[in-house]
This record gives sequence, C-alpha cells and structure tokens, in this order.
Amino acid sequence: MWEYTAAAVVVVAAVVLFELRVLRTGLLGTRAYWIALAICYVFMIAVNGWLTKLTAPVVLYDADATTGWRFPWDIPVEDYLFGFALLTLAMLLWDAAAPRQREVADAKVTNVTVSSSPREPARGAPS
Amino acid sequence: MATVDRYQYLLLMAGCLLVTLPLEFVFGARVWRRPRRLLFALVPTVILFAVWDIAAIARGHWSFDPRYVTGRQLPGNLPVEELTFFIVIPICGLLTLEAVRRILERAR
Repeated sequence: MWEYTAAAVVVVAAVVLFELRVLRTGLLGTRAYWIALAICYVFMIAVNGWLTKLTAPVVLYDADATTGWRFPWDIPVEDYLFGFALLTLAMLLWDAAAPRQREVADAKVTNVTVSSSPREPARGAPS
Repeated sequence: MATVDRYQYLLLMAGCLLVTLPLEFVFGARVWRRPRRLLFALVPTVILFAVWDIAAIARGHWSFDPRYVTGRQLPGNLPVEELTFFIVIPICGLLTLEAVRRILERAR
C-alpha cells in the first residue's frame, strides 16, 4: 500500500541528502534553481497531464500503490516528487561537473577556457 | 489513426525537445553544446530512474496502455518511451536552469 508514495519520498530525501552530504554544489540555495523548477512544473503539468489523463491514459497507476490524490486533472501527486527528484538530480550533477573557476582558473585555465565557456559563474561556494 | 496513437508518448517527448530548443540558441543556455558535462549529468540519473521504473513496473505500481506506446521494450520490461523520458525531461530541465541563469545575469 502506498508503495509509490513511499518510494517517491525516499528518493527525494536521498537526492537532497546526496547534495547536502556529498555534492555540496549549493544549487538548492540559488534563486535560479527555484525559478527553473517552477517553470519546469508548469510544463510538467501539461506533459504529465496528457500522460495520466483518465479519459485516455498512457500511463496507468495501481490504485493501491498511490494515495489516490490527483491534482490538477488526473496527475497523481506522487509524480511531483518523482519529477522533483529527476530534475534536481540532473541539475545537481550538471553543476557538480561545472568547471571550477576559483581553484582551477588560477592554476592553468587562464588562457584556455576563455573561448569555450566565457564567464562561467563560480559555483560550489557555500553561499 | 491507430498507428499514430502508438507514437503518442514518443511524439510528446519529441515535442518537449523541440519546444526547449530555443533556450539553447536564443537564450544561450549552452547545454547541448557541452555534451560531456551533459552526459555526466544524464548517465547516473537515467540509470537510477530506469532501475526505479523497472522495479515499479515489476511491482505493478504503473503500466502502459499498449494503444499509446510502440511496444518496444528494453530489458526489465522497460518501454523505450520511459528511457526517452529520463533523457528528455532532464535535458529540458537543464536548458531551463541555464536559460534562467543567463536571464538573471543579464538583469544584473
């Protein structure tokens, strides 16, 4: 019962912990992240709304695996946690792979990166 | 019509890529143009969610209406559409994030 709900909560918690304990990109504290997430959710409602609409569902959910709460239209609320984890994990890894301006720049990148990625904002700072 | 219907899910994913493409070239998101960094973000994400999906399908948490999917499946009964979803949606998210960053930088 509520297995999807439980799995979604666990995965969201795992992604957040992974950031706080391991990656420490600082992404979750930035305005850009929350604005981007809000925009993504608007589009997610459209895409997910289509996939889950009960009139002609592409994806069908087992009633026992979820809370049964669906909003808006027929989107299972669990999908918002799923989407959060999917988007946030990719964004965290993306930032974790960002060239580090502060440490690396001084050492050797001074005359190399200029053409490839101008003005990469420094990340990873625990702002 | 029935044949087109089986591509509903895949077409929806293609639409997502198409709609977000201007973020790369108009807003200067530079996600597609950093393929190694993109792969670094995608590979672990796709693996984690594919594993979750395979487990959820096996446990019967969700299933797919055969009318709206191609029927092509990967190991673990994973529809190709789902794999596409785990690639496309993060790309859309990264494009959005980077576009928002460019806009905030410019606004400064």
